Amino acid sequence: MATVLLLEPDKSLAQSYKGALQRAGHTVHWQNDAQVALGVIDEQTPDVIVLEFHLPNHNGVEFLYEIRSYPDCDHIPVLLHTMIPVEHPGLGHEFWPQLGIQEYLYKPQTTLAQLVDRVAKLTTPQLV
Amino acid sequence: MSELRPSRTSSVVSDRLLQALAEELKLPLLQIARQAELSEQKGIELSAIQALWFVDSYILSQQLLQQPHLALEPVAVSAVLQDVAHALDGLAKQYGCSLELHLSGRYAPVMAHRQGLQTALLGLASTLLTAAQNEEAPRLVLAAHRSRGGVVAGIFSQTEGLSQAVYRRGRELYGRARQPMQEFTASSGAGVFVAESLFDSMETSLRVAKHQHLTGLAATLQQSRQLSLI
Repeated sequence: MATVLLLEPDKSLAQSYKGALQRAGHTVHWQNDAQVALGVIDEQTPDVIVLEFHLPNHNGVEFLYEIRSYPDCDHIPVLLHTMIPVEHPGLGHEFWPQLGIQEYLYKPQTTLAQLVDRVAKLTTPQLV
Repeated sequence: MSELRPSRTSSVVSDRLLQALAEELKLPLLQIARQAELSEQKGIELSAIQALWFVDSYILSQQLLQQPHLALEPVAVSAVLQDVAHALDGLAKQYGCSLELHLSGRYAPVMAHRQGLQTALLGLASTLLTAAQNEEAPRLVLAAHRSRGGVVAGIFSQTEGLSQAVYRRGRELYGRARQPMQEFTASSGAGVFVAESLFDSMETSLRVAKHQHLTGLAATLQQSRQLSLI
């Protein structure tokens, strides 16, 4: 089972996501602030980051630029799980590969079961 | 005596307020949906999801209408209808409604805005589903067929009361009457009118149509000529 860093600004939603991921056997560290989340990463490198784009103080992209500059964090897969529709130009699709965003999920249309499923896929080693 | 504001300004302000309100509503609806899913309360989850569709489709229709030239792309109608059927599955079960997908063969891609088309069909289906709920064996058909002008895609049911005249009067009344299509549905019919504005933005129009012995709402989508030649 994996260690998940969940960056979600809304406490109520975070409790639901955390509950579902924990039921699936994952260890979940929830943060609503990108700056504090950097401290969490310093203490324990997560296996996957579930990230809302809109965060207080720093947005998701700023957060990713920061962690991608750490040598031990350049491999962590990121699941962008956001209220912003995929076609929104502000999401900066062109930077997704370099920021390690491997999956996108539109929050209003993503069930807890789908989220758990995607996290499992991102944390399961792929056969080559 | 105070001067009356021009109605255009108040209309723009109220549109912006409504859009801001719609954006704000997404979060509590999503909270309800996810809490209900976690506690396995399927009915509440589906109701919240249906409300989220309406809110999201309103926001999308406003965004598309604000674009001076909407970029249309080749879209596979059958794939969109399948996605809509998949999304509707839980809600249809909740209403005890059977869902059918009628696709006759393969269709050439049509020029549309994929998300706009999917949202419009979902809104239509959602309204027709709630209108059909009091029938003995409610049935909803998602269908597409070829026509001279392109591909017709629509949602159909056995519900009586829907006609071109009822729809036309509904268009004049919506936003002013609580039940603008009273003969057809007791609801506000918002899904129909949001779908109408989405189809308008895709340069086509919604109309009352027949499919087999069912009545519904459909739009004709132009085939993508570029891909038809290949």
